Amino acid sequence: MAKKTTSQRLAQRVILIGVIMALGFAVVAINLARVMLVHGNEYKTKAEQNQLRDSDIKPTRGIIYDSNGVILAQSAAAWKIYINAGAIPDNEEVREFVAKELSGVLEDVDKQTIREKTDGSKSPYVVIKSQVEYEEKEKVVAALDNTFDYVAEYERDDGSTVKNTKTYKLRTAVGIDDDVIRYYPYGSLASCVIGFAGADGVGKSGVESEYNDELTGVTGRLITAKNARSDIMTNEYETVYKAENGAGVVLTIDSTIQRYLEDGLNGVYETSGGVGAYGIVMNVKTGAVLAMANVPSFDLNNPYGLTEDQKKEVELAEDDEEKASLRSSFYYKNWRNFTVSDTYEPGSVFKIVTTSAGLESGTIDEDYGYTCTGAITVADQTIKCNNHAGHGYQKLRKGLMNSCNPFFISIGQKLGKETFFRYFEAFGFTERTGVDLPAEYMPTPDKTYHSLENMSFVDLSSSAFGQTFQVTPLQMITAISTIANGGNLVTPYVVDRLIDENGNTVMQTQPSIRRQVISAETSALVTSMMEDVVTSGTGKNAYVAGYHVCGKTGTSQKLSKGQGYYVASFGCFAPSYDPEIAALILVDEPKGQINGGQICTPVAAKLFEETLTYLNIEPQYTEEERAKLDTPALNYVGTRVSDARSQLLDENYNVKVVGNGDIVTSQVPAYGTIIPKRGLIVLYTSSDAERLTTTVPDFSDYSVYDVRDVAESVGLNVTIAANSTLSNSELVCYSQSLPAGAEVEQGTTIVLNFKSNSGVTDVG
Amino acid sequence: MTFRKIRETYLRFSFLRKGGLKSYVTTGGFDGVFLTLLIIILITGLVMMFSASYVYSWYNSPGNDPYFIFFKQLKFAIIGIVLMFIVSYIRFDVVEDFSVVLLILSIFMLVYVLINPYVIPGKEDFKRWFSVPFIGTVQPSEIAKVALIIYLAWSLSKRRLQVEKDNDRIPTVVHAFIICLVCGLVYLENHLSAVIIIFAIGIVMMFFGGTNARVFALGAAFLVIAVFVALKTGVLKDYAGQRIDVWQKLLHNEQLTAQEEQRDGWQILQSLYAIGSGGMFGMGFGNSKQKHLYLPEPQNDFIFAIVCEELGYIRAIIIMLLFLLLVLRGFYIALHHKNRFAQLLVLGICFQLGLEAGLNIAVVTGTVPNTGIALPFFSSGGSALLTLLVEMGMVLSVSRTMDKKPKKVKEEVEAVNGNS
Repeated sequence: MAKKTTSQRLAQRVILIGVIMALGFAVVAINLARVMLVHGNEYKTKAEQNQLRDSDIKPTRGIIYDSNGVILAQSAAAWKIYINAGAIPDNEEVREFVAKELSGVLEDVDKQTIREKTDGSKSPYVVIKSQVEYEEKEKVVAALDNTFDYVAEYERDDGSTVKNTKTYKLRTAVGIDDDVIRYYPYGSLASCVIGFAGADGVGKSGVESEYNDELTGVTGRLITAKNARSDIMTNEYETVYKAENGAGVVLTIDSTIQRYLEDGLNGVYETSGGVGAYGIVMNVKTGAVLAMANVPSFDLNNPYGLTEDQKKEVELAEDDEEKASLRSSFYYKNWRNFTVSDTYEPGSVFKIVTTSAGLESGTIDEDYGYTCTGAITVADQTIKCNNHAGHGYQKLRKGLMNSCNPFFISIGQKLGKETFFRYFEAFGFTERTGVDLPAEYMPTPDKTYHSLENMSFVDLSSSAFGQTFQVTPLQMITAISTIANGGNLVTPYVVDRLIDENGNTVMQTQPSIRRQVISAETSALVTSMMEDVVTSGTGKNAYVAGYHVCGKTGTSQKLSKGQGYYVASFGCFAPSYDPEIAALILVDEPKGQINGGQICTPVAAKLFEETLTYLNIEPQYTEEERAKLDTPALNYVGTRVSDARSQLLDENYNVKVVGNGDIVTSQVPAYGTIIPKRGLIVLYTSSDAERLTTTVPDFSDYSVYDVRDVAESVGLNVTIAANSTLSNSELVCYSQSLPAGAEVEQGTTIVLNFKSNSGVTDVG
Repeated sequence: MTFRKIRETYLRFSFLRKGGLKSYVTTGGFDGVFLTLLIIILITGLVMMFSASYVYSWYNSPGNDPYFIFFKQLKFAIIGIVLMFIVSYIRFDVVEDFSVVLLILSIFMLVYVLINPYVIPGKEDFKRWFSVPFIGTVQPSEIAKVALIIYLAWSLSKRRLQVEKDNDRIPTVVHAFIICLVCGLVYLENHLSAVIIIFAIGIVMMFFGGTNARVFALGAAFLVIAVFVALKTGVLKDYAGQRIDVWQKLLHNEQLTAQEEQRDGWQILQSLYAIGSGGMFGMGFGNSKQKHLYLPEPQNDFIFAIVCEELGYIRAIIIMLLFLLLVLRGFYIALHHKNRFAQLLVLGICFQLGLEAGLNIAVVTGTVPNTGIALPFFSSGGSALLTLLVEMGMVLSVSRTMDKKPKKVKEEVEAVNGNS
């Protein structure tokens, strides 16, 4: 090494170190370029995966309306309370604090449950309670700021511990998320059609399930940047993909008609002692279902509630496993829509189909006659008629009115199985109706009905009067509608249209005719026969003055269950001259009175009267009916007592005058109230006169004559609701509009329902 | 020799009694380029420290105050600048006089911290700090760095002839011993990064001081063997092996294991996510996302990652160049000074600055394995900033007498006192 001066050497060394440092910086700069520019995007992507939280924006579930826009199901905002279990330190006191605070503000959640859910868990999302409503949520929000001081201990390597006091905020562990709660304002009304959505917001039955996708809408996304503690950083990094709210569903169900139907079914369910009562009301021209009900039904707001009987049965179960399985079987039973998912033997109601097939195929005509001897032997089997003595010689119309089994066996045998099956198929009994409800029963050949290949002569004979095969109630009412509407088999439906949030229609159900099954002439002929069934046949208790109800009763044996179990039914439509609505009323396993003509027809009569009035279908009375019609009371208040009295007496009314005044101050019945012919009017001549009152007697099982006498003696007016074409001698009172024992004013009108018990049976 | 030093110090104080302040104070203009670069870096550092710290501060300060960390730093910066200017008026030979005392004092502190450390919960293994009433925590290794620079500058200039002579190895051995002593004590604190820096400073000081190049060749050979042994025997493995694995994987763009990602690799990985997100022009000032609690303590050792994320590659390179220019300007000042001690002092200080900045950025960018080194003027930490600015004051003080023939202080003192 050559000798250098000290400063030269220093300069050299400084430059050397300087260059090395500069090189070092250059290396770092190059590496920085590698990270930032070459692999920058990879790192950026990973960073974003870290930072961005992609969360769903739940769309609001669509509203379900009835045909008049009445809301039947609606979602409301609710909240979900969860715990970030990983954010609770492993400290008994803190865990206890969190559980205690939260159980203190949440209803129905105890400390123990919270501890069990969170202890040992590291999950950041342990749901403590969902579908929490506003007030309860606000309590949780208020509690979030609560804090708890505790001593955290750290262990050092040498075994000693360091203590440190820390403050724990409830907010650190507890979070609140959006949730939705589904309300059904009318509880159990139309529950089998509407169905319910579970806590997860997914429809479980009915329209809620069938139209789940449409009701649900499209989930949106909210992409936000969050920091490592999952708090949102700022709004700047927010990207929103809007949620599309679910469509509103407008049902064909009319809640008023639905209520009429349910009231009727509830009544018959109570009085008949049956295991169930089912009914459908349908628009015969379009197939729109106006009402559909199962009794007993369930509360949509509490779908997991059991009836008292079911609860008792669960209690009796031996172990928990059995209880659970029993409970779940009850749930499914309650949710099940019998009218769509279950089958029954239609019995005599089916005779209208046999009749239609015979007439349409030309096998028989209106004048077809048969002599009933009370029984018929078919291939060694004797089949009895409901009239054991035999109906004698009847023509077709009379055979249908009498619901004579041997008569229809003869038609069936005359048709032959090919023709019979062709019409059986044409009326839609071998296929689903295609209704827009879930779990529609799929007819199975040789199980629910006889296939053409395997149909024996006995099968054919019994099928002709509606036994040995099964159909769903919906299939049956669709067939009834076919006869009513001129022969077109329609597809029943319960959803009229889907609407968006602004009420614009996004989907409209077009009524669809599957095929023409019978001609308009056949349809009209069968209709006229069915009207006679109601006027003076087995369906006479369904008669409603002015509304021209057509129908056919049915009482089928539940062959699968053995002797003594029946399904009573009544299929009908009205008015006969231009059928609008059809109804099918079913009572499963009635006790005592088991005939459709006894128990289902009064329900139908009331239903038609209410429904047709509600639908503003003008009644068309016969002269005879018109003469019997009751009229509204005129106004006598303010007139002279003597004038009023003489006028009323002229019109054959009974008059009672209370008080000594000259001028009528009030009257019972009031002005405009219906008053029966020969009824009583009480006139008061001073306002402080004591009112005349009376106690309502129990009219059940009274005849029309007895009723009139009793009513007159207690000072009540009675309106007789009964088939006015029938003779008074066969009518029996079965219900009254005012309860027995009630204290009412004299002159009050009471409506008494009468029915006939003779000649209304399908089963002897 | 120590005795003589003490006597000289006594002499200076006896001069004070006679009221001659002039021998303490230096005159002349300081180097404007150095100060300008310094101020630019300092302000950039403060601004970036605020941006990097406010989220962490909001979450971790009492009362959720986003300015908490920043204001603390700003306070120290202002005090530091004042101190820097005061120091810049103090003659560098005053510092020279205290060199031995300072070294002894700092060694005492290094021992004291081992006996009575201030333990931060969760970091019980680290004995890096001790607490001082009214001041807070003091990191003696920081002081040791300055003390070692001053001592070596003094010793190397004092024994210049012996050092440069090939046959007289005694001063070299003494210097090596002192460097090793300090390093050893710092190592016991469990502070490897400081050991590396102090060792590097010591070696480079010896190199600047004229120590024979063959000594370094020997030392380098020894170091290579030591590292080799450390790697082979696994001594290093327990402490830094994981980090080295992570570093190598990241350098080769390999996938880390889930455990590595969550533990040893977390910080450096988050740092790279931040840096990578920056791209050429950055996400804009204040727009870092990684500072939102992803990158642990973003205002400390890894602040440069946030700088890269917000300002982008070009501006990050400019900041690195500013550091390099500051260091090289310091070297320029040193080379333009006539006093050997002043030269070595400035070189040492500037080397320390450059080394720390370079290593920090190298760590943050994954160029070298992860080890805790703060970025000068950027990272939060009041006492470090204060120490740094005092050092800068010394450089400015030296720069005032650049290109001047320095007066012999001792002669002057003796002349005044009439002693010999």
